[in-house]
Amino acid sequence: MIEKEDPIISEEEAAQYDRQIRLWGLDAQKRLRGSRVLLAGVGGLGAELAKNLILAGVKGLTLLDHELVSEESCRAQFLVPVSAKGQNRAQASLERAQNLNPMVEVHADPDRVEDKPDDFFLQFDATASFCTLKEALEVEWSSEKAKASLKRTPVDYFLLHVLLKFRTDKGRDPDPESCADDSQLLRQIRDDVLEAMGLSSDLLSDDFISYCFSEMSPVCAVVGGVLGQEVVKALSQRDAPHRNFFFFDGRKGNGVVDYFGPN
Amino acid sequence: MVQLVGSLRKELADSLSSCKVLVVGAGGIGCELLKNLVLTGFKNIDVIDLDTIDVSNLNRQFLFQKKHVGKSKAEVAKESALQFCPTANITAYHDSIMNPDYNVEFFRKFSLVMNALDNRAARNHVNRMCLAADIPLIESGTAGYLGQVTVIKKGMTECYECVPKPAQKTFPGCTIRNTPSEPIHCIVWAKYLFNQLFGEEDADQEVSPDTADPEAAWNPEETAARATASEKDGDIRRVSTKEWAKSTGYDPIKVFNKLFKDDIMYLLTMDKLWKKRKAPTPLDWQQLENSARPQEESPASSGLKDQQVLDVWGYCQLFRHSVETLRSQLQEKGAGAELVWDKDDPPAMDFVTAAANLRMNIFSMNMKSRFDVKSMAGNIIPAIATTNAVIAGLIVLEGLKILSGELESCRSIFLNKCPNLRKKLLVPCILDKPSPNCYVCASKPEVTVKVNVQKTTVLSLQDKILKERFGMVAPDVQIEDGKGTILISSEEGETEANNNKFLSEFGIRNGSRLQADDFLQDYTLLINVLHTEELERDVEFEVVGEAPDKAPPPQSNKEEVNSITNGNKDSAQPSTSCKVTADDDDLMIIDSDEEVGAPSSSAAVASGTKRKHPDSETGEASTKRPRTDQSAATNYDDDDIIALD
Repeated sequence: MIEKEDPIISEEEAAQYDRQIRLWGLDAQKRLRGSRVLLAGVGGLGAELAKNLILAGVKGLTLLDHELVSEESCRAQFLVPVSAKGQNRAQASLERAQNLNPMVEVHADPDRVEDKPDDFFLQFDATASFCTLKEALEVEWSSEKAKASLKRTPVDYFLLHVLLKFRTDKGRDPDPESCADDSQLLRQIRDDVLEAMGLSSDLLSDDFISYCFSEMSPVCAVVGGVLGQEVVKALSQRDAPHRNFFFFDGRKGNGVVDYFGPN
Repeated sequence: MVQLVGSLRKELADSLSSCKVLVVGAGGIGCELLKNLVLTGFKNIDVIDLDTIDVSNLNRQFLFQKKHVGKSKAEVAKESALQFCPTANITAYHDSIMNPDYNVEFFRKFSLVMNALDNRAARNHVNRMCLAADIPLIESGTAGYLGQVTVIKKGMTECYECVPKPAQKTFPGCTIRNTPSEPIHCIVWAKYLFNQLFGEEDADQEVSPDTADPEAAWNPEETAARATASEKDGDIRRVSTKEWAKSTGYDPIKVFNKLFKDDIMYLLTMDKLWKKRKAPTPLDWQQLENSARPQEESPASSGLKDQQVLDVWGYCQLFRHSVETLRSQLQEKGAGAELVWDKDDPPAMDFVTAAANLRMNIFSMNMKSRFDVKSMAGNIIPAIATTNAVIAGLIVLEGLKILSGELESCRSIFLNKCPNLRKKLLVPCILDKPSPNCYVCASKPEVTVKVNVQKTTVLSLQDKILKERFGMVAPDVQIEDGKGTILISSEEGETEANNNKFLSEFGIRNGSRLQADDFLQDYTLLINVLHTEELERDVEFEVVGEAPDKAPPPQSNKEEVNSITNGNKDSAQPSTSCKVTADDDDLMIIDSDEEVGAPSSSAAVASGTKRKHPDSETGEASTKRPRTDQSAATNYDDDDIIALD
């Protein structure tokens, strides 16, 4: 829950947050300042989100990540020092994250999110959601109505299904080390997923595969920026959140907000 | 299987390692951009910024920490970026991009130039340099939640100056000096006053009552009579404000009484002005002091200290205190010293807050908090990290397309606050072709300018027309009179003698043609002169073919402006419900994937007016100099902004 607000805003905060207070107001800034956020996963996207929330001035941010720093990590995100290979990714990111804004309490937690007890999550502020991710993905596509809306559905939605299935089956994301095998599997999953939905596999052409192997900094920046602003909106209780998916196509520059879930 | 390095094809990854790119600006967009470039694999990056780090930058310019305040942005940005990619080759310049050292040859070293600027003058200049060097330029801007990216390539797309930008809003002299009706008029007056008392005196920044105000006169003859009378008077109005202030030793109470009592009483004698307006009420220091009630210590409020509005006596005291402080600053600097107004310099900001509010009170306007005055006086554009992060990501993605040789797939991309009718938060648009009449990128650019050749000086031509309006940095001008008479030389001192002469003295008249060159920008502009005696008051020239200078306020959008000027208690932007409104029709939404099978020339079919280009508007057009010490800087508005309808 958002902590009892300290009504006084210090001179230091007023000076540092001046340009954003002028945008979203003092009340919103105070609510941010009373919020604790949990961030699960500090890869490319996670690091962007961490930066955006720390700069915004939340009360606390916990970086939760069980992964270890790899060769790839240093290229993917800017919080992990090049010398930190083999260390826990959350802990390795801690120092730089904290330096972004000393007024925020930044913590690192090396555990797996699945291993956390339910009450662990209670210390963080709830974020509103319109429906669960599961419901959003269980859309019935064979109906006429669904088919009609298909034309305006971003292809990325189906890509999301494919990636999630890969992750479920393999317990990991596609890895450049096993590029050939993983690509084969991705193609197969694409065919299966689309067929199960009653859709043609032409919907998602083969070149999607090359995009599955790593995060790309500028794309993380865009998505991390949009996502960061959504979190700020939720915590500050100001401005309506986007409903409920945001898809970004880095080749075309399209950023689409679309709704998937129970109607 | 295509060979990948990370997400990129090997050829592209290789070219990123070898090519050289330039980032102009290391602020909000610049920091994010530098990070993205380095992580994406760019190895050779030059970054230039003339500014130093301020505490208000720290909410978004994440390469900087508190300990870096006061240091060079470019240099600290480089050091921080090297931390997460020690093998990158970054060169930092703490300098202005308009410095002639950065000539066409300098620009040619780069495969790509990316702007991360906050002012139009620099954008115009880089635009021309990239045209001259034929290097692709990625232009961008942000303001609050909104942002835009676009690509400029000579011969292929519009250049930055193809579509005229709305001119900066200016107010008539008599409004500022005689009949202010809005807080902004009082704030502009207060800034002029600062310069008249402590800074560089400017003939266009008079603060005393304007006796030649046509509205004040009974008949036209009297206007002229009054004007000449005030010159012959020999009274205090002939002495410059600064000289007069010096003669009183900058006594705050004497200065107060002159500006807020005597001058107001003088205005009251111009009774025609007050027939339809509420007359101003003069202030008297002694009276105010006598009737001042001791202020109870207000409990530590839950708002910002700066958001409080004081009472009149409070602003009197603030006025006195700031005058005394500024007086000391002047004394410290020695003889002939001048201060430069800076919104982040507390006594300078205090002075403007006090003076503006006293004047607002005199003219029956509700007074404003220091917070609100600072927004208006300092042209502050609210800024956050996330908008800059998105825009900087888009810049790199466009950059990758350019370096892959896929210029046709480049787009202008607009970031909205809410999804549009097509559910898009990010809206890509096809790039427009160059304008055939562009006075910058057309093959033989030409303009027609209306002036009064008998009243316009050579110096005005240079500063107001060529530099300010037409973006030249170091103009050379010849008259096309068959003799090639040189009117202005960019070499210092060469044509100084011409400065105060009128154009007519050189035989320039209706129909004359001038050739203006800026050799650094490799730019030649032909100017057709149209003589006229009928320009609006306070207007020195008019460019033919353009709408008159009645542009909307140079803020990011009306809502934000209203929120600030209405003194919204929270000083927040109004919380919009994000309903999709008709305003979205203003966007020309053309996406290559929307019109399947249609040729890209279907871009021409879209209806609605195009959203205006990204830009940053400044209150005054002053050149930013490298900030070697706090007082030397002329502060522009913060960060990158865009001007929208």
